Amino acid sequence: MAAASAAALLVAGCGGGGPQSGGDSKLTGDKIVLGVLNDQSGAYSELSGRNSVKAVEMAIADFKAEHGDDAVTKDITVETADHQNKPDVANSKAQEMYDRKGVDAILDVPTSSAALKVADVAKEKKKLYFNIGAATTDLTGKSCNRYTFHYAYDTYMLAHGTGTVTTEQVGKNWYILYPNYAFGQDMEKSFSTAIAAAGGTVVGKDGAPFPNTSGDYSSFLLKAPTLNPKPQVLGTMQAGAELVNVVKQYNEFKLREKGVGLAVGLMFITDIHSLTPDALAGTTYTDAWYWNFDQQNREWADRFQKETGTRPSFAHAANYSAAMQYLEAVQAAGTDDADAVVKQLEGKEVNDLFLRNGKIRAEDHRVVHDAYLAQVKPQAEVKEPWDYVKVLKTIPAAEAFRAPSADCKL
Amino acid sequence: MTERTERSEGREGMPGQHGMSATVDTKAPPARSGLLAVARAPGWVRYALLAVGLLVALWLPNGLYPAVAVDILCWALFAVSVDLLLGFTGLMSFGHAAFWGTSAYLTGLVAIHAGLPFPAAVLAGALGAALLALPIGYLAVKRTGIYFAMVTLAFAQMVYYVANEWRSVTQGENGLQGVPRAFFGADLTDDYYFYYAILPIVLLGLFAAWRIVHSPFGRVLVGIRDNPARARALGYPVHRYKLTAFVLSGFLAGLGGGLFAVGHRFVSLDVLHWTTSGKAVIVVVLGGIGTLWGGVLGAALVVRLEDWLSFSGFEAIGLVTGGIFVLVVLLFRRGLWGTVAHLLRRRGAARRE
Repeated sequence: MAAASAAALLVAGCGGGGPQSGGDSKLTGDKIVLGVLNDQSGAYSELSGRNSVKAVEMAIADFKAEHGDDAVTKDITVETADHQNKPDVANSKAQEMYDRKGVDAILDVPTSSAALKVADVAKEKKKLYFNIGAATTDLTGKSCNRYTFHYAYDTYMLAHGTGTVTTEQVGKNWYILYPNYAFGQDMEKSFSTAIAAAGGTVVGKDGAPFPNTSGDYSSFLLKAPTLNPKPQVLGTMQAGAELVNVVKQYNEFKLREKGVGLAVGLMFITDIHSLTPDALAGTTYTDAWYWNFDQQNREWADRFQKETGTRPSFAHAANYSAAMQYLEAVQAAGTDDADAVVKQLEGKEVNDLFLRNGKIRAEDHRVVHDAYLAQVKPQAEVKEPWDYVKVLKTIPAAEAFRAPSADCKL
Repeated sequence: MTERTERSEGREGMPGQHGMSATVDTKAPPARSGLLAVARAPGWVRYALLAVGLLVALWLPNGLYPAVAVDILCWALFAVSVDLLLGFTGLMSFGHAAFWGTSAYLTGLVAIHAGLPFPAAVLAGALGAALLALPIGYLAVKRTGIYFAMVTLAFAQMVYYVANEWRSVTQGENGLQGVPRAFFGADLTDDYYFYYAILPIVLLGLFAAWRIVHSPFGRVLVGIRDNPARARALGYPVHRYKLTAFVLSGFLAGLGGGLFAVGHRFVSLDVLHWTTSGKAVIVVVLGGIGTLWGGVLGAALVVRLEDWLSFSGFEAIGLVTGGIFVLVVLLFRRGLWGTVAHLLRRRGAARRE
């Protein structure tokens, strides 16, 4: 008896997915709920974390201000959970958000394994998922689905931008150091392809153990300048704390003075902040967005700083944008029915805070936009806190991301 | 202790049939086992406890989010498997993720590629874990204490790196996605129904663990835990007993891991990570070492707590679970179940006087 009634309750809880027939509102529960699922206590909490929840709240406020009384609903809330970078937690939380918390769209979810799982859940529950935090191109490749959109960045974008421009402008000979696991190997391959396409050569490459518990990269860094021909660029694919170690040792061995420049696969502004700009000065990397790029970004960054006390990373801006684009699509569709919203989003061309010359590709749900080749300034040129990079070049949206993959069947 | 050892004198070390019956004396109260303290309670208390436990198990997915309830079941098996070694054999395994995770991967692979119903896949996974436990256990049981913990940890790390590198099979970092929940055409995609589908398997596993510790074999394990030298002197092949316990424990951990994989419908490298081994030990210590049911209680609390914390908005989850762990170790050294059992026993003793 108890089981049966509970099952009925459960079915009632799950069954709210489609648009309600009749009634005035086409929204389930007459409201929109956004879910931010990310790392709020671990390695990625700085670069996204709870401040992304703030960014999404800013998007909701802006949406309400923009549409006023015409807004599809005024009842828009945010649910959030900490997945602790554990894919099984991400799995349970994503299901719970969709089923029990009435979440219409989940945002963020760093770590590839967690993101792929949440994409799977979204597909099953027929609810939307905007990935921002994970870099794997599988999300728009063999694991793509109708309800998942990939925002911000991916391994191809990072490698393509930095690999091409650095080869053209800094030096043709590369030495690549990568962490020996899926992300690092993907990055190494993408970089090698981009470098070769730009007319450069990879004179040497090494996979460092991952995780590198000793934090020792000296054998690789001492070897780099002795290679023949001598590499002009050291490309490091390490991220986070490992990147910090590589850069420290790069500086210790004075490789820059020996004529070996530094290019980084993946870096967030929060990494520069913790390493200090001097440790990274001259390093080039591909950025998806930079807070001090233009007036629009800056104004938003000022608001963000008032809310959070810190400057935004590109992940924060991307969360804002994804929330905004979702709300706009619901507004246009007049319903939160996932299929109707997907129809609104597919093929849409957008310019907003984060997306410049943006387009939500219908073929694979990759959200393409301009990317930036950035270079870290020396401390002497830093005029204010967090003003750490100058943008060397804008990489047009069409070039920044890979063409839709044949593996993706929506 | 003395009582029991006196009774086993007639054994004269026969390795072939190491005394499945000769040494048993169910009346002999073991020195430290909280479980057996409950077993000593009057019959109606035991049946009442059992009934309450079963009712809670039946009700659980109605009160909790079903996916969390499924996790609790899996972790309960895992914790009991660790307790079998830690509490009843005196071996602190710090590498049980190897069996939990290996079974998770095997179960996932079997379910994906062979399309078998999930209980068959889980069984295959658990058997694989037991098979892996054989060589690891063979080498590890020759050591005790911290060395045993280190050896098991080392092997678990090896398994972790193999899974990490063997991308063509395990999908590496991305995890093994899309593990099906096939069961003769029944639709088990809803976790609520899946919970009831796996409940009998979990209960069977828990019953097996209970039978093991209550069998003559289990009593010998306790004897080995308390005084290995004496057990050896009495003619018990101590290593072989420990190895058998290790393999059985690996099988139970594998049972939990396989169900966990089907429950989440994917397997990630996390299942093999050393923190998973650590969490299993924490669960057992919280619940009470050597109490068996304490592990079940600990699993329920830890899984529920982590679930609650991730929605709580609190930014230092590790601080909370770590803090609770420290408190329990400092204040309730018998663990939660052990402390309650101890208090009940003291009251019972006082009443008898």
